[in-house]
Amino acid sequence: MSRRVFVTGLGAVSSVGLGRRAFWESLAAGRSGASPVEGFETGSIGRTIACEIKDFRARDWMTAAEARRMGRCSQFAVAAARMAVEDAGIPAALLATERTAVVVGTTMGEADVIRELESAWIHRGEEAVKTRTINRYGTTLLPIHVARAFGAHGMTQTLPAACAAGNYAIGFAADQIRAGRADVAITGASEIIEKLQFAGFARLGAIAPERCQPFDKNRKGLLVGEGAGMMMLESEEHARARGARILAEIGGYGLACDAHHITRPHPEGEGSVQAMRRAIEASGLQPDDVDFVNAHGTGTDANDKVEALVMHKVFGARGASVPISSMKSMIGHCMGAASALEAVSCVESIATGLLPPTIGYETPDPDCVLDLVTGGARRAKADVVLNNALAFGGYDAVLLLAREGVLPDTVGRR
Amino acid sequence: MELAITGLGVVSPFAVGAEAHRTALDAPEVAAARAFAGPIATLPEAELPGARVAEVREFDAARHLGDKGLRNFDRLTKFLIVAAKQALEDAGLKRDGAWLARRPEEVGIISATAYGSLDAITELNLVAEREDPRYINPARFPNTVVNAAAGYVSIWEDLRAPNVTIVDGNCGALDAVLTAETHLAHARADVFLVGGGEVVSEPLYRALRKLALVAEGDAPWAPGEALGHGMRVGEGAAYVVVERPADAVARGARVRGRILGYGTAFTAPESEALIVHPSVDGVARAVRAAVRDAGLAPADIDAVVCAASGLERFDAAELVGLGRALHPDVLCASAKAYGGETFGAAGAFGLATGLAWLDGAPVAPVLCGRARGRLEHIVVTTVGFYGNVSAIVLGRATTPERHP
Repeated sequence: MSRRVFVTGLGAVSSVGLGRRAFWESLAAGRSGASPVEGFETGSIGRTIACEIKDFRARDWMTAAEARRMGRCSQFAVAAARMAVEDAGIPAALLATERTAVVVGTTMGEADVIRELESAWIHRGEEAVKTRTINRYGTTLLPIHVARAFGAHGMTQTLPAACAAGNYAIGFAADQIRAGRADVAITGASEIIEKLQFAGFARLGAIAPERCQPFDKNRKGLLVGEGAGMMMLESEEHARARGARILAEIGGYGLACDAHHITRPHPEGEGSVQAMRRAIEASGLQPDDVDFVNAHGTGTDANDKVEALVMHKVFGARGASVPISSMKSMIGHCMGAASALEAVSCVESIATGLLPPTIGYETPDPDCVLDLVTGGARRAKADVVLNNALAFGGYDAVLLLAREGVLPDTVGRR
Repeated sequence: MELAITGLGVVSPFAVGAEAHRTALDAPEVAAARAFAGPIATLPEAELPGARVAEVREFDAARHLGDKGLRNFDRLTKFLIVAAKQALEDAGLKRDGAWLARRPEEVGIISATAYGSLDAITELNLVAEREDPRYINPARFPNTVVNAAAGYVSIWEDLRAPNVTIVDGNCGALDAVLTAETHLAHARADVFLVGGGEVVSEPLYRALRKLALVAEGDAPWAPGEALGHGMRVGEGAAYVVVERPADAVARGARVRGRILGYGTAFTAPESEALIVHPSVDGVARAVRAAVRDAGLAPADIDAVVCAASGLERFDAAELVGLGRALHPDVLCASAKAYGGETFGAAGAFGLATGLAWLDGAPVAPVLCGRARGRLEHIVVTTVGFYGNVSAIVLGRATTPERHP
């Protein structure tokens, strides 16, 4: 049995566009999703800008009954999953089985539901809390709602791995296909912007006042974002049998834990180096085979400095010449969904040979000597792409994606 | 699937420590009485006079961990770190903080919770809503992120292999076993702490009460019996240490038991409007899959640590599902009778209970079935509120030949 896992469909809900095409066209054009927050009062928080999705209407993607039983985070996940399934052109009957796994990452899950419940309780007492709302709370509902949408009745799993959740979910879903526990997987991650999270990051001093400028000497922090990125994954046998269009192949992924500090990265990037090396090794490749790195690139001083250091440790003499770019300069830091949306972007780079730019970059930082893609998208070889996620809590997860036919037969053995 | 269990750490309402937990289960009625007795510190008893919860009373993390560095840890994080420390020591991997076997890069953690960050979110929401968001304590903000607790465990115990948090409702800790097996198979680590934790949480308790899911007052309460009074909430943390069987043998580890199979299933409700629902079909499919994964036949299963919690519809559906998947006489009891419903950690307590049964602790209180001598294979189940079910097959350290 082949151990190859293919990406056959993509879905994206983001501040720069809904749907695969709109999302990618915006990234390639270097459009920013930043705007003043409208979802809640930012008054005293001291920051007002985020990459908030203004034009998402749940009913465009689901029935009224579905929309009623979900919070916004699940709505994003289901909408992106429907986009990915439609993009894959997979018949409904092939999903409505025990052999379809649904693995979804997030950080805060249904944060709007808990805010609604607690706001009612705090201001109006227990009597004001609605039982209907309680039933909608639960992070584990994300994959449950997605599975219900397609009649899938096998594995459902939620992986809350902070900013690395998307890579965790996609990598784990691919593992299950390789292990023969599933034939197909609907996987990715979803996140929403909520007041508590926004205020918390502001209190940590992590949010930039206006724009996110990854790797720039004068970078001032991240912008909070929201959205969902979902993928349709299939075993080689399943994809070939139905004549699926193959967008990319999932290579290996590397996981490591800094075990250093709950919010700061390890100063030498030890876990990040391990995760990148393991992703490359598990793909049966060498660092020289990597064409492009989709950076974690949050725009915070500590992250970008360490990520630049890690690039040089992993790629050695090529550290300053492997193209790298941060989507967070455009879509903000979508937390749990970040690496899922960035994985969607990686697949598009592989499919089009286009590397999206890091916008807002103005002043080189001597601590970040990199071949950053700036001044517009760059046409370049993108057969092998690394997707970095170096998260809060020291959770490092790096996923390798490749053009079909590039990876050796040993892919996925480790 | 085959994993060796070489260590156990437990923080429960009736015992702290693997050996204390094992000894306590020789007298489960006494353990249950201890778990549910005494004043409650985690809930406002004056407002909730009927609350009956299994609380880890007089828990002092400093006694286990020293008094430095604990200030910003929440209750869950303290439970997890203590259970992790115990499990690593029980496995002979660490002593007094020093590694005796393995390196930090070889040891990871897979930790489950369902509502682990809820208290931290509530704490900060109270500040944001009653005062102002700018008064949120940034040092407490990390605790609102559900994987922070396991992140702290990694930092405390210096675990540098994969760190995974799983939120699968009540099924998380058994799903964590599959995650560990997956990463071991890909050589991403050599040893994993697998389990989870949960705390008695006021907002969660109030929500469950609002849904009429908790048993209050001193009325009779017994999981699995058709009393319909609801669940009693519990708390605590438990981890097992798992590794490849050959690795355990190679380092001369004591093997407490083996994990032989895993199965999971999801069944959607028939009504579009429903979210919370029991599923006979889900139980039957998950248990069958676990038994099949173990290379066993239904008749090989001697007992089930079931998930019954006192929710009549869920308990009844589980027992019917078990009957369909296994055999009519299979012996069933619920660990929740002594520790209450611990949601994401329930599977971890189920594994700890299963190990105790394999070691000779009585299977009690029996909900159904008959004992048939020495236990060789035990199924542990977890049943989610949304139609998701997971199951594990546990076996002795050495077992007879498998069913052909």
